This record gives sequence, C-alpha cells and structure tokens, in this order.
Amino acid sequence: MNNTAEHTANVAVDSRISGTEASSMEMFYRRSHFWGRLTLLVIIIMSLIPPLYISFVLDAHPGWGVIATGLVGYASFIGIMWVLEPITYYPTLGVAGTYLAFLTGNIANMCLPCSSAAQKSVNAEPGSQKAEVAGVFGIAVASLTNIILLVIMILGGTYLISMFPPFVEGMFGFVLPSIFGAVLGQFAYRTPKYGVIALVIGMAVLFSPIFSLIKIALCVALTIAVVLFMEKKKGNLE
Amino acid sequence: MGDILQIANSTAFWIFAFIIVAIVAFQAIVFLWIAGRSAPEADLTKQEVKTAIRAGFISSIGPSFGIAIVLISLITLIGSPITLMRIGIIGSAATESSAAAIGASAFGVELGAENFPIEALAAVMWTMFLGGTGWLIFTMVFTKSMGKTQEKIQKRNPKIMASVALAAMLGAFAYLASQQMVNGPNHAVSGVVALAAMVAMMKYADHRDISWLKEWALGFALLIGMTTGYLTTFIM
Repeated sequence: MNNTAEHTANVAVDSRISGTEASSMEMFYRRSHFWGRLTLLVIIIMSLIPPLYISFVLDAHPGWGVIATGLVGYASFIGIMWVLEPITYYPTLGVAGTYLAFLTGNIANMCLPCSSAAQKSVNAEPGSQKAEVAGVFGIAVASLTNIILLVIMILGGTYLISMFPPFVEGMFGFVLPSIFGAVLGQFAYRTPKYGVIALVIGMAVLFSPIFSLIKIALCVALTIAVVLFMEKKKGNLE
Repeated sequence: MGDILQIANSTAFWIFAFIIVAIVAFQAIVFLWIAGRSAPEADLTKQEVKTAIRAGFISSIGPSFGIAIVLISLITLIGSPITLMRIGIIGSAATESSAAAIGASAFGVELGAENFPIEALAAVMWTMFLGGTGWLIFTMVFTKSMGKTQEKIQKRNPKIMASVALAAMLGAFAYLASQQMVNGPNHAVSGVVALAAMVAMMKYADHRDISWLKEWALGFALLIGMTTGYLTTFIM
C-alpha cells in the first residue's frame, strides 16, 4: 500500500502549509472517500443478489448467453453514460456529492437542484469549500426525502395515485422543463451573459447531428471552455 | 403476466428491497454526519447548516413526487419491490424501462406480453441490475482520482475551479432545459416561466436580503412553472 504512505505524507505537508484548516477539510475528504466507497461497494454486491436469487434459488436461470446479450444491448447505448455522467457532474457535485448522487440516482432532476439550492441559501460561491459542504447537506437530505417518499408511494402504490385530483398528474408532466429552467435561472442570474452563452451552446449542440448521449458532456465541455476563455480575457483568473 | 408478478412481489424480493433502502438511508445519514463535522472549517455557521438542510428538503419535495409518479408505470411491469430496488438506487424510470425492454427481448419476448416466463423476468433483472452497476463501479473507483485532479487545479489557481464549477452547472442545465423546452410550446412556456420566476425571486432576495426566500425559491419556481405549463395546455 504505497498509496497510504504517500497520502499520509500529503496530509502532513498540507497541515504544515495552512494549519488546522487544511487538516480538517482533509478529514472531510478522507471520510467521504472511505464511506462513499464502502457504501457503493455494498450496493454493488447487493445488486448481484436479486438476479442470482431468481436464477439459482428460484431456478429460473435464463442462460449466460441471454444475460450477455441483454447487457451488451443495454451497454451499447447507455455504457458511455457510466463514464461521462460522473465526469460531467463532478465539478458541481464535488467528492462527497458524487458518492451520494450516484448511489441515490436522479442526479440532474433532484441531486444537483437540491445541492444548488442549499449552496445559494447560504450564499456560497460555486467551487468553494463552503459550497461543497453546503451541497452535501442538500443532496443527503434530498436522498433521504426521496427514499422515504418512494417507500410510501410503493406501499401505498396506485391507491395513493388514484387519490390525487387529475390536474396533479397533468402538472407533473411539466416537472422537468420547470426544474431545469429554474436551476438554470438560479445559476445564471448573477452572470446573465454566461447564462445566454450556455443556452446558445445548448441549443446548437441539441440540434447538431451527433450521437445524442454525448451531447450533454459536449455542452458542458464547450461552456467550460468559453467561460474560462472569457474570464481569462477579463484577467479574472490571474 | 399474473404469475410473474406473484413471483416478483414475493417476500424475498421485499427483503432485498428494504436492505437496499436501508443502505441508501444509511449513506445519507453518514454524509450528514461527515458534513456536520466539517461545517465549521468550511465557514458554515450552525444557523447556515440548518438553512442548507431546510433548502435541500424543500427543494427535494417536488422532484421526489415527480420521480414517484413516473415509477408507477414500472410497477405494473416488474412489481413493487423490484421497482423500489431499481429506482431507489442509480437509475430512473427511463433507464430502467429501457433496460427491462432490452432484457426481455434478449430472451425473445416482449415486455408486458401475455406469455412471460419467469426466465424472462430473470433476464430482465440481470440486465437492469448489472447495467446499473456501471455507474456505481466507475464512481467507486474513479472519484478519488477526480478529487486529486481538482486538488491540483485548486492549488495552482483556485479561481479556475470556481469558474469551472459555474460553467459546468450552466452548461448542463442549459442543455437539459433546451432539450425539454423543444418538446412543445407548453414545455417551453413552463421552462421559461420557471427560469424567470427564479431570477426574479433570487434578485429580490438579494436586494432585500431575505434568506428564507432563497430556501423556498426552487420549490416556488417549480410550482409556478408546472402550473403555468399545465394551464397553457387549455389554450395552446
């Protein structure tokens, strides 16, 4: 474990440079990596149990050929997202946010909006440590709320849905454009110029004839490039 | 389909589902603890921690309901506990129903077909569960290296990281919003109205220094956008 020694050395250097502050944030990252990796590992193992159970305990194994066909078919269009999504969202989620969001899922439509709401509510600058920790509170609470609500809905199921007046379902047909528009507004209101640039890039990428699943990553990469370029020109990065 | 749902809704799958739910809840609680321990060093006062938690809670209600409403469509296909296992961890109604359809066709049947053998359900489950681990494995293995890269950039120039974080968020949501808004005039209206409502509320909250409005802004904007979008369906 060469890594551990190297890591300890890094910690020592860090705390020498900036005192206790660095060592405490260092603890934040170390705890996040440890618990994040552990919970993900447990979920990965747990993901194997239900299919193994139906195959070998209930004796309904469909054959490895069928499983491979299904998996290859699925991976052929979604596989690229396994890599692109974590990288695309990492700059906004941070270390702890990534572990949380990719376990609980619903990253764009729940985790990121809740992270940004928490950050904005305490006036944290994007990319700062304050923003990273505030975002963790936002995502962790969202994950808890979501899983509790899911359990209630699953147990109450169709019965609960049938109790809603019909307009509720009609309204929730617009949940995605509303939430994406709102989060865009939340980040763009202080830098409207960048918001417009991002929208122009978004529309251009959306209508360009490229493989659809890489579009969002491309849009993020282009927006980062343009914003960095403009900030550099203004001399804000010196 | 009836026999399959009886198997899919059996006790064993309920037990697996609740173990998975427990792990998700456990992880969230552990990270609340981790963030709580580091809050003072990240310049978050006790009051601000409460504010952040409240903002996260308020903002999660709308999206959670949205997720819960869509998942009902999955229950009729794969039963309640398997739906809970798939939606509770990485994966959405869209990814999971496509995985289910692909798994079924790999076995040579169609999802929801009258004659749906238990082996086909097994094929569906393998595709969904193994397919979902792709994200989990990548995040488990590579988040640490992404963290190291971030640290290096931050040490060289912290301002770059701030710009990258802002731009990444803008880029992602500009694309997602565009994609939704081209779905039709009602979608476009609801997206634009939600955006405008958010900008107005944030500006007002900044101007008057009203912090509670920032906690509620996303929830309000969501409600305003959804209501407007729905109402315009009567005239457009």
